[in-house]
Parts: sequence; structure tokens; C-alpha cells
Amino acid sequence: MFQRRRWLIPWLLMAPGLLWLIVFFVIPNVQMVIMSLSSGTLGTGYRFTGNVGNYGEALTAFPTQFRNSIVYGGLATILTFVIGFPLAYGIAFRGGRYKNILLFLVIAPFFTSFLIRTISWRIILGESGPVLWLGRDALGLFPDNFTILRTPLAVVSGLVYQFLPFMVLPLYTSLEKVDFRLVEAARDLYAGPWRRTGAIVGGVFGALLGAAVLLGLGYASIGGDGTAVLVVGAVVVGLFGAAVGGLLISEAFVRVIFPLSLPGVFAGSILTFIPAIGDYVNAELLGNPRTQMIGNVIQSRFLEQNDYPTASALAFILMIAILVAIFIYARLLGTEELSGGR
Amino acid sequence: MSDLEQLMTAVPVSRRTFLQGSTMAGFAAFLAACGTGGSPAPTPGGTNITGPLVWANWDAYIDLTTDPGPDGEEGTDDDEYVLPSPTLDEFAAEYGVEVEYANAEIEDNETFMATIRQQLDTGVATGWDLIVLTDWMAARVVGSNWAERIDPAHVPTAIANVRDEYKGLEWDPDFEYHFPWQSGAVGVGYNVASTGRDLTKVADLFDPAFAGKVTLLSEVRDTFPLIHLMLQDQGIAASDHTPDQMDVADCEAVHAFLKPYVESSHVTGFYGNEYLAAFAAGDTWASMVWSGDLASSGGEDDRFAYPEEGSMYFTDNLLIPKGAANWYTAEKMIDWCYDVDRAARIAAFIYYISPVKGVAEAIVELDPDAAENPLLFPPADVLEKQYPEPAWDDEDVESEIKDLYADLAGV
Repeated sequence: MFQRRRWLIPWLLMAPGLLWLIVFFVIPNVQMVIMSLSSGTLGTGYRFTGNVGNYGEALTAFPTQFRNSIVYGGLATILTFVIGFPLAYGIAFRGGRYKNILLFLVIAPFFTSFLIRTISWRIILGESGPVLWLGRDALGLFPDNFTILRTPLAVVSGLVYQFLPFMVLPLYTSLEKVDFRLVEAARDLYAGPWRRTGAIVGGVFGALLGAAVLLGLGYASIGGDGTAVLVVGAVVVGLFGAAVGGLLISEAFVRVIFPLSLPGVFAGSILTFIPAIGDYVNAELLGNPRTQMIGNVIQSRFLEQNDYPTASALAFILMIAILVAIFIYARLLGTEELSGGR
Repeated sequence: MSDLEQLMTAVPVSRRTFLQGSTMAGFAAFLAACGTGGSPAPTPGGTNITGPLVWANWDAYIDLTTDPGPDGEEGTDDDEYVLPSPTLDEFAAEYGVEVEYANAEIEDNETFMATIRQQLDTGVATGWDLIVLTDWMAARVVGSNWAERIDPAHVPTAIANVRDEYKGLEWDPDFEYHFPWQSGAVGVGYNVASTGRDLTKVADLFDPAFAGKVTLLSEVRDTFPLIHLMLQDQGIAASDHTPDQMDVADCEAVHAFLKPYVESSHVTGFYGNEYLAAFAAGDTWASMVWSGDLASSGGEDDRFAYPEEGSMYFTDNLLIPKGAANWYTAEKMIDWCYDVDRAARIAAFIYYISPVKGVAEAIVELDPDAAENPLLFPPADVLEKQYPEPAWDDEDVESEIKDLYADLAGV
């Protein structure tokens, strides 16, 4: 009797999860697709008409916001990686008995509401906040009219802060598994300090990342008056990145540690990039009208303009775009760890 | 209907679940739409006080308790204003019912309505017993039959005390569905310490010296007409329409004027009441604002000016949304706030214009300064140049104008 019903057990175990997904993911998504192909207004009601024109409008009407999403989401991913990797590395290899406390500190901000944390960044980056007080008023590093709040830098800072733990935790998990004896063996055998390729690779990547961050933050002003300043800035930051990368990256790191941490890099960057690209809270609270992202357009179309079809089409496009991006990325970096292979 | 569905529809949409995101409400609405009986029977008005009374309002819009702040002394700069409010507390004590007042729940009409529209449309309770909406939106809610009827027998004070100017509105002439809460003006707010001078005109917002420190209102019915008045004053407007007559062409002219200022980041945002925080932090020096806010909740250097070009006025209205659980209690609350002395106390605190008769006299005793305050009692030369907000009832017109606004706001 029991034997015959055994096939039921996995389904029963999955039932709560499946039900959850059906009610809160599948049904809303079907509704969204139907809405994205409808026409009408809020007053007269929306009817399904198979109107694919909504997709045309969604794709062509918001180039700036799509670009902002990709650039800011990408920058946030790069910066969380640059900040998060040394952090995860430090905790994994040098954490000792403080490992658990350090990991707890990484996720500690999650005990406060997302909104409160973002609003706090308004204060931190604002006119009467500590950053401008130190950099502008006390040290005089920035010009008098320099502001951070309501600039791309503020939006990206907010994103980086919000998603840093999503990068650090997977990186830590991967790094923690690395057997340090492999590194020692590599140093003895083929990756000792006499090899300079590591420093060169580090320098090149440092330069690229540094320049990319600055160009990304200022991309909106390319072609305008600020172009020269931006290029000079990118060169300076790039050189700085090259110096840091060249000093810190060793041959053994390039040939042993980094390849072994790739699953963490993959998971961390996906976990950061996906929510960052669709985020609208940071752009709304920390940005200005020119730094709005596609999430803001969706929010406004739904809540303010009552243009549900375009909003649905945008949401669907964003979802598909992210899926495609992940697919390509997975092909490039491999997903054995994520899919449970090996 | 399955047991599971029964269980789920039995869960009432309380304010808490509502605030946790409208997921649950949306789900209930979905069930209702599927015809599984998700919509509750209409709550009878009744004559029983029930609670807790749940009230959604705008920021800085009721009298609050004064917290003396770190120095322990009232009347000093570090005073903070916090809930609870004396008016609400006394109501709670009088009727033995709890009041859940959601301060700053409403940032602008559209966004707030978007959170309850679907529930109203499908006949599910919104979780609110009292809401406060501006004329044009209140008219739509009443027109859509989304407001509960207010029984005149339950609100005798309000009927007796409402000022004559507020009577006979086209959309609800006899106060069957609404009572005015407060009126106010849209004008120019600024921090005089930051700007270094007094601002008197809308045009002053575009002084190059304030670049990067200027914000406008996210309520398009306030922002566009005020700029339109300024363009008329400068002789470059598209027409001589008054604000309530503005059409798409007028709005296009306003858009064309504003666009370069947004592009150059002279104007850095379109805000609702959140401008209060931006003024406090020094991130905004000058902005279009609603008249009473800076006086009641701003810093000591924050000022309000009725612009020389003219200003807008609006009335925000109390409504009981369809399906409110505590309908009768909400009616009693409306009546409570229409008591002259309470209305005067509220007015003296929030610096808006009270719709209650006799406040002008009652306030003299309470706060002689407030009795002279142009925010509460606008002078004749201001009233002469004051206009109602445009209704933009035609959906196509409204949608085109909202698109113009969205383009400026970057969304």
C-alpha cells in the first residue's frame, strides 16, 4: 500500500513551495503578460487585444533609463566585487576564531529595514553629512559646490551598500573551501614571487575596473563640457587601480585562488546584478531626474500614470533581459556548483 | 470553494497586513475577481463605536505633541513634534477606542490611490477608515462610488460649522460623502540662511545661484500651473488661460521651459512632503511647497512666500472609503474635528486654512500670532491672484500631461 504511494512523497514535500510559486509567481506573471498585451485606460478598463505595440513603446521610449539600469547595476556589481573580495578573502583566510563574528557583521545591516538604511544614506551623503564635512569642509579635497546626494555616485553608493552582503557571502563560501596548501605548493613549484605575470594581470584588471567605474559614473556627460575632466579622472583612477592591483595580486592568486573562487564570483555577481538592475529605491531616494532607472519607470507607470500595459511590458522585458544575461554568463563561467553538478 | 480558499478569504485585510505590502490585499482582490466570494458584505454604518479607527493622512497635517527635546525645555529650538496628537488622544479617551493615525502615509494623491484602487474597484475593504484626498481626486472617488455615505445625523457639528464657501461643490453639494479637512496654497518655500535673500516669485527658483538646490512638487497639478503663471508674468506663456483652464499646449510650454533646468541639474527632484527632510538636511534651499508645512515642521530659517505671479489653492477632504470597518467611528471623528476649539488648535499647529466657522475668532485666544498669520488668513491681494487646481478630467488630456511630467521627472 505504502509502496504504491511513494511517488507522492516528493510532491507532498514540494507542495508548499510549489503552491507559493504558483500563487505568487506564476499567476502574477501570467496576469502581467496578459496585461502587457492589452489596451485601454484605467477609467474604461483594460482589455486583452494582443497589442504588441506596448513592447515597441517600452523598448524605444526609455533608452536613458535602460542605460542607467545596466550601467549602475554593472558598476554596483563591479564595486561590490572589488570591495567584497578582499573582505571575503580576509574572513576566510585570516578570520581565525573571529570568522563567525565577522560574517555576522556583514549581514548585520539586514536587521534594519531596507528603506531606513537607504534614507540614512541621504543623511550620510547630504549637505550636512559626514562625507562632505570631511572631504569638502575639513580637508578641502572637493570644490565648494561639490555635492554627492542626487548624483549617479550617490545611487551607485546606495546600491553597492545594499548588495554587498550578497557578494561577500557566496565569495566567502567558495574561498573558505580553498585548501591553502595548494597555494603553498603553487608558490614552491610554479608561481613563486619571481613570476611577474600575476602582477601584470592584477595591474591591467585594476586599471580597467578603475577606469570603468569613473566612466560609468560620468557616462551621461560624455560628449559634453565634462568630457575632458572625465577622461583625466578615468586615467587617474585607472592608474591608481593598476598600482593597487599590481601590488596586491600575486601569481598564485591568479593561478590558484581566483579560479577556485569562480563559483562564488558567479553566484555573487548574479545575486548583486539582478536586484541592482531592477532596483528603484536607490535611484528614487538618492538620485535626480536624470539618474532614474527602469525600475522607477515601471513604478511610475503603475502607480502614477496608471499605464499598466506599458508597465507590464517593461517588467516582462526586464525579466527576459536578465534571464538572457544570466544564460550567457553561465555559459561563460560555468555553473557546476550552482546546479549541484560535480 | 476549497477549504484552503475559505481559510484565506477569512483573513481580514487589516491595516498591518495591508502595510506589509498589498500582497494579501492583492490576493484577496484576485480571489474576489475570480468570484470565490472574497468581497465582504457591505459594513452597515450602525451606531456602534468600533475600532481601532485607522486614518491615513499627509505629513504635518494634524496637531502633535511637543517633545521638549534633549534640553528638556519646551519652546526651544530642539523641540520635536511627535504623535500622539491631543485631538486624537482626546477622541480615543472620549469614545474608548484606539486611533491608528498613519502620519505621512499619503505623499501624493496618485500614489496613495494606486495602493487602494484595486480594493475599491473589486469591493474589498481598503483597511482605512478615513483618508484625505485633494479636491480633484476626492471628486473622482465620490464619482466612482468608492466613498461611504456620511449620515448627516451623525455629524451635526460638522454640518453646523462648515464654512459657507465650501458648500455646493458640483461633485458633492450637500456633504453626503466628504467634509473638507484643510485648505492651503502652493507657493515658494526657501531657507533664507542658504539662499541669502528673500524669495518673492516663482522665477526666483531659477536663480543660477541656487543651482542643484531646487526641487519642485511631484503633484503635477501644482507644479505645472505655478510655472504657467510665471511664464504668463514673463509674457512667454502659450496662452492667457487661468490655471484651471490649462490645456496640453500650455503644459507643453511649461515642459519646454523646465526641461533645460532638469538637464542641467538646476532642478534636482520632484518631491511630495519629503521636501521637509530635504530642507532640514540643507539639500534643498528653495522649492515649490504647500503653504503650512515649513511653518509647522520646518526649521527657523525656512520661509514661505505667496509668489507675486500668483498662487494655487487646494482643499484636502476627509472621505470614508468604501468598505471601511469603522464607518460610524469615522463619522464621529469627522464631527469631532469640526468642533471650533479643536479646529482652532489644529489650525494653530499646522498653519493651514481651516474650513470650520469661527476658527478666526477662536484662534485669537489660543495663539494671537496665528490670528495674524497670512498662512491661515491669506490677505486680500493674495486671494485676488489665487486659483484652483486644474481638474484635467479628460483621460487623454490627463495622460498626455502626465507623460510630459514623467519626462521631466526622468520616469
